[in-house]
This record gives sequence, C-alpha cells and structure tokens, in this order.
Amino acid sequence: MSAVLTCHNLVKTFGSTRALDDLNLEVSPGEIHGFLGPNGSGKTVTMRIVLGLLRPDSGTVEVFGRDPWTHAVDLHRRMAYVPGDTNLWPNLTGGEILDLLAGVHTGVDPALQSELIERFELDPRKKARSYSKGNRQKVALIAALSTDAELLILDEPTVGLDPLMEAVFRDLVADVRNQGRAVLLSSHVLAEVEKLCDRVTIIRDGATVQHGTLNELRHLTRTTISAQLASMPADMASVGWVHAMRSTDSQLTFEVDSDRLDDAMALLTTHGLRSLTAHPPTLEELFMRQYGNQLTATPAHGESQQS
Amino acid sequence: MTLTGTSRLVGFIVRRDRVRLTVWILGLIVLLVGSAASLLAVYPDQASIDSYARLFGDNPALTAFAGPGHGFDNPSLGVILVNETQLWGAIGVALMGIFLVTRNTRAEEDSERADLIRSGVVGRHAPTAAALVVAVAANLVIGAVTTIGFIALDYPTVGSLALVASIISVGVVFVGVTTVAAQLTGSSRACLAMGSLVLLVSFVVRAIGDISGTAMTWLSPIGWAQAIRAFAGERWWTVALSLVVALALVIGAFWLSTLRDLGSGLLGVRPGPAASRQLRRHPLTLPVRLQRGALIGWLAGLFATGVVYGSFADSVDAMVADNPQIAEVFTQAGGANLTDSYFSTAVMMLALIAGGLAISSAMAPNTEERAGRADMVLAGPVTRHGWFASYLITAVVQTILAVTVAGMGVGVAYAVVMGEPWQVVRLTGVALVTLPAVMVLLGITAALYGLVPRATPAAWVPLAVAAVVAFFGEILRLPPWARGLSPFHYLPMVPAQGFTATAPVLLTAVAVTLMVAGFWGLRQRDIAVS
Repeated sequence: MSAVLTCHNLVKTFGSTRALDDLNLEVSPGEIHGFLGPNGSGKTVTMRIVLGLLRPDSGTVEVFGRDPWTHAVDLHRRMAYVPGDTNLWPNLTGGEILDLLAGVHTGVDPALQSELIERFELDPRKKARSYSKGNRQKVALIAALSTDAELLILDEPTVGLDPLMEAVFRDLVADVRNQGRAVLLSSHVLAEVEKLCDRVTIIRDGATVQHGTLNELRHLTRTTISAQLASMPADMASVGWVHAMRSTDSQLTFEVDSDRLDDAMALLTTHGLRSLTAHPPTLEELFMRQYGNQLTATPAHGESQQS
Repeated sequence: MTLTGTSRLVGFIVRRDRVRLTVWILGLIVLLVGSAASLLAVYPDQASIDSYARLFGDNPALTAFAGPGHGFDNPSLGVILVNETQLWGAIGVALMGIFLVTRNTRAEEDSERADLIRSGVVGRHAPTAAALVVAVAANLVIGAVTTIGFIALDYPTVGSLALVASIISVGVVFVGVTTVAAQLTGSSRACLAMGSLVLLVSFVVRAIGDISGTAMTWLSPIGWAQAIRAFAGERWWTVALSLVVALALVIGAFWLSTLRDLGSGLLGVRPGPAASRQLRRHPLTLPVRLQRGALIGWLAGLFATGVVYGSFADSVDAMVADNPQIAEVFTQAGGANLTDSYFSTAVMMLALIAGGLAISSAMAPNTEERAGRADMVLAGPVTRHGWFASYLITAVVQTILAVTVAGMGVGVAYAVVMGEPWQVVRLTGVALVTLPAVMVLLGITAALYGLVPRATPAAWVPLAVAAVVAFFGEILRLPPWARGLSPFHYLPMVPAQGFTATAPVLLTAVAVTLMVAGFWGLRQRDIAVS
C-alpha cells in the first residue's frame, strides 16, 4: 500500500541552527506511527512541514502523494492536528473553540464530539483562560478526534493528561487505527509509544537514527533491574546478557537484554529475592547506550514501574 | 511572617517590568512637564490667561473634561496648568496603577506563576505587597520629577506641589482599588475591567458634580483630589483623605485575600456559552468575535472625544478673538473661516486615534501567529490568504466605523449647538476624508506582518511620526520633507480648504498596494511560533 506520508532527506535551517538534517519518515495507512526524539530534536518542525506551515530548505515531503506547501488546503481536508503547546483563545469558552475548530475542519461529527466532551470530562462553558494545561490539551484532542481525518498529526498529545484520560486517549486512537486511518504521534517517552504504536521512527538532532516495528527495535530496549537479594550471585558481571552492573551490600542493579529476562529472573530467584523493580530504558538511556553520546541523563519520565 | 520575601519580589518585579515601568513613568512625566512647558508659550501674558479663564468659566462641556476650575476668579498660569493637566494626569497614573497592580497580582495567579513563587520562602501577603510597593514607588518617582520640572519652569512651588500631590494621590487610590479588585475577580481581564470601571465612574461622577456644583464631586477620588485647589488657596487635607482611603482599601484587600484560595476570585468566574453556531458556520468571523469588546470601547471613546471637539467649536471664534496665539495654531490649516480650520485640526486628531485602532487590529494576526493559535486554524482547509483577509477586513471595517463614529460625534454636538441637523452629515463627511491616510497606516502594518513579521510592532512608528508632524510640525519648524513622512500631510484640509480627490485616491492606492504586499509575503514565508 502506498504511504500516507513520506519525508525524504528533509533539511530545515533557522538562521545558523540546523533544525532538520536529513530527516526521513514514512507513515502507512492504518498505522499508529510513533515519532520519538528528545526535546528539541525536530519533531514539531517536521510536523509543521508536513502541514505546509513551514517550507523545507531541501528534501521532499508528500502527504497523500502531494506537496503540502502548494496543496495545503486540499490536504488539510484529510488531516487533523493537535499542536504540542496548545494555546487557546483565552476569552472564548471551550465549547466556542470546539465550534470554531469544527468550522475550519471538514467531516466533524457533532454527536461524536459531544460524546468525546463527556468521555474527557471537559466543561465546555469555561473560558479557555481558566483551563489547566490538561484541559487545554483535551480541547485540541476532542477537536481532532471528532473529525474523520485520514491522517492525524498529534504532537505530544498526552502531556498534561492524567492517567485516566490517557487511557481514554489510547482507546480513541486505537479506534482511529481500526477504521484504517493513520496517526503520526510524537513523544519523547518510549514507554508511551510502546503502548500504542505499530511502527516507530526515532530521530535525534534532526536526523532519523532508527525506524521500524517495535519488535525490530527490541534490541534497543534493555530492561533495568534493581533487586535486593539475600546473597550475591557470583560472577554475574561475566554473563553475556548482563550490562552495567553495580552492587552494594544487598542491592544489585544491572541492565538486561529484553529477550533474556527469563534467564535473569531464574538467576535472581535462586538468591533469595526480597524486592525487585524493573523499568524499561528512557529514551535518553537508549541514546546513550546506542550511540555513546554524552546526552545528559535525566530522570525517567514516569515510565511504568513493575515490581 | 506574611511579608517575608517582599523586598526580593520588589527587585524581581522591577527587573521584569523595567521597560514597562520606564515607559509609564517617562511617558507621564513627559506629558505633564511637556504640557507645563508649552503653556508658557501659548499664554505669555495676563490677557491671554484671563481669556482662557473666561472661556472655560462658562462652558460646561469643558468643565466636564477638565475640572471644577478653582481659581478662575483670579486666574494665573498655574490655574491653567491645573485645568489642562490635573484630570488627564490623574487618569494616566490611575491607569498605570490599574495595569501594574493587575499584572503583578491577578495576572500572576492566572498564569499559575504565583504558585511557583508562593511555594518558595515567601509570605502569604508578600507578592501583593511587592506589587503595591512598586506601583506606589512609580507614582512617587513621577511626582518627584514632575514637581521639580514644574518648579524649574517657574511655576509657584506650593501650587506645583499641591497639583502633583493631587495627581499621584489618585494614582495611589487606584493602586488600592485594583488590589481589592484582584481579590474579588477571577481573572486578570475582569480585574482590569473592574479597575477601569471604577475609574470611569469616578470620572463621570465628578463631571456631573462639577457641572452641577453639587457634593457629588466628593464621591469620586478624582473629585476630592481636584478639591485641593492647587494655585488657588490649597487645602492639603484632601490628600490625607486620599491616603486614608488608599490605606483602607489595601488593608481591606489583605483581609479579603485571607478569605479566598490562591488563583480563585471571591466573585467566581461566570461560565460562558457552551457552543457557538456563528463560529461553527463561519469560522473566519473569529476576528470579529475576538475584537468586538475592544471595538465597542474604541467607538465609545472616539464618539465622546468627537462630542467634546464638536461642542467646543462654537467657542472657537470667541476664544480666538481673545487669544491671537491660538488663532495662529488653527490658521495653519489654511482658509479664512476659523471654525472650519478648527474642524480640520480636530478631525485630524480623531483620525490619529482611529489610526491606533487600525494598527492594533491589523496586528492581531501577528499575535495569533506568535501565540501558536494561528496553527490551529491554518491546519484546517483554510488558505493563508483567507485567514489573513479575515483579520484585515475586520481591521478595515473597524477603521471605517471608527472614523465615521468620530466624525458623527463632532457633527452631532455641533448640530445641537448650532441647531443645524445637516452638520452631522457634513462633519461625518469631513472626517471620512482622512480615511485614506489611516488606511495607509493599516497597510504598513499588513505589509510588515507579511514581509518582515518580526518587525510588525514597528508599525506604531508611522503613527508616532504622523502625531509628531500633526501636533509639533509648526512648533518644531519641521522641513517639508519631514512633514511628508506623515500620510496625513497630503490630505486636503477640509473643510478649511476645498476637497480635491487626487491625494485621497493616491493614498488609497498606496494602502492597497501595501496590503497586497502583505498577502504576497505571507504566502512565501514560514508560519512562525515564538
């Protein structure tokens, strides 16, 4: 099937800053495509090029086979967009803004929209000025999800949503995919993308560094395990699938290739396991490991913690 | 200690608002001291001062827009200074107080930055106290420099002190009023609106009191400030009254703040409509929806100003007979009929105010783009040109309305005074002659936005140039090329001179060309977010 969206060798500079440097991206019909990268890596710039709001310096973009710069209006009939930093008109109410955005999109289903207002628990009579970040985000999400757009561009859509609303959002995006429509979803949290996406493109400093299905990228994901043990296993460090091991008296922390979790568990249980935490790598960890770069490691952004 | 951290917050506000504070303070000082300086030239002798007093003494329209006129029975230049600057200076410092206090109290809570500050080692009342300190200090700086300025210009010391004290006492009272409003209201807009409403009521109440000569004047902070009788037997206790009221308001505000949660107002926020059919059917009417509130304010202001100018016109002949200097100002407009020359000047001033509306309205797309809101609309099947046109058409229509309403204000007042209904149509027509020049200002804004979006705020510069040429062109003896920088310079000075179509047609062509350039530029460039 031909791609809904292709970006080929995109370059975009702002003055002396090279925001995009050889970016490649392909989204197929009926998939949720994760668009991963650290903050400032060029995700938003790419999305705004895809929408025809910015013009690339070189490279090609095609949305439904056409150039978004010259055919923006036609293409926008088939797209919906949720900006990353949702800024609303402070003196309009949520309901008025939804009607405004419904007015500038085609194929908005009013019944679906009222249903979404209820599911997201949004009060449409409040002025946007008094909305929290999460509520502003909900307005933009409801507007986009109540259209019949064939391609949804969602820029960090879950920022500010509480976990309950995140679950609602995941259900709705899955529905979109099941109807054969495509979603490009950007995030800097790997765990979020893992829950939702069929395929992933990972970018850094404006360039694509990895792309493929999550299984294909599984080799990138090592799980970090931290365990309290009655006795310390000997010679752990020399096992091939154990990495970056550190230990104190009773605490052992190491990373394990995700396909060897079974072995790790089997080993640990023989040494009197008292407590155990495991978490998937943050994107930053992943980059540091994979590319040996000196990205400053930041604490994990609320990744799922299994114990 | 509920005031812990106040001094550090004061430093922070001064740092954050250094430009804003400088503009307010310098602007008001220049307004006050500049007026004092120019009066020296306009009223050089006792005869001209006496004629001024006679003119104001029996014109209620002027009383409404100046004050009770204490001292007109024994007029001096100081009395004129009071009449010319006291009311407008007081309104200026009151607005400064309303804006500065709202910005640093209620608006901070809106943005939730206040939470960040208050979570530090900062007392409960410290952010409000810091805002108060800065606002009052700004008033004191204005007061000190202005007093020195007046005295340096040889106005009597005691009278100068009294005049300045009366002006800044109004500023301090409105600092108090706004602090209370910040506790009552649930958003910075509502807080600004409440402060401005109190100011408007104060203005109207004292106007009625001054005209009718009743005690109503004493219900208004501006009224009791003017009762100080500067240069006419000062009554200092009125300043004490202002200070007591301001202090009571501030104490009341601190008390009110203990009754509410941070971020919420005591009066609550009214919910708005849950839907808008208008916006769903015609989304490109958004600019109208966003700007209609401000437009109503502009139109009311322009109409009122027009009425003042119109009601004044009848007295022009009398005034000029007494004061040849003023005659010189009006005859610059050319032509023999002084009243007509006066109308040319009045209409020009109104057109410059309408220019302010035109520019601010035409800047709206820039604000939308910088805030990232343009993205949300442009991501739909809307052309950039259509989106831009929706704002530009709104701006053009507003400008036409503004100039028309201003002209009607002049016309209505003059028609009533003269008993000649047709003056409404004539003077509205006179005002509309200035429209092409105003449209050039609008066109410059559009062109800057399309071609060099970062430079959009520079669209205010041509308006400032036009104002300088209009008000100071003669006094500064500007050469013709400098006057030519103002689009208004090319207009036929109707009704003083006959109407010729060439200049208006050419100016319109320039305006249209500039707008087209704006459209062209917008299509070529990236949509930015700051």
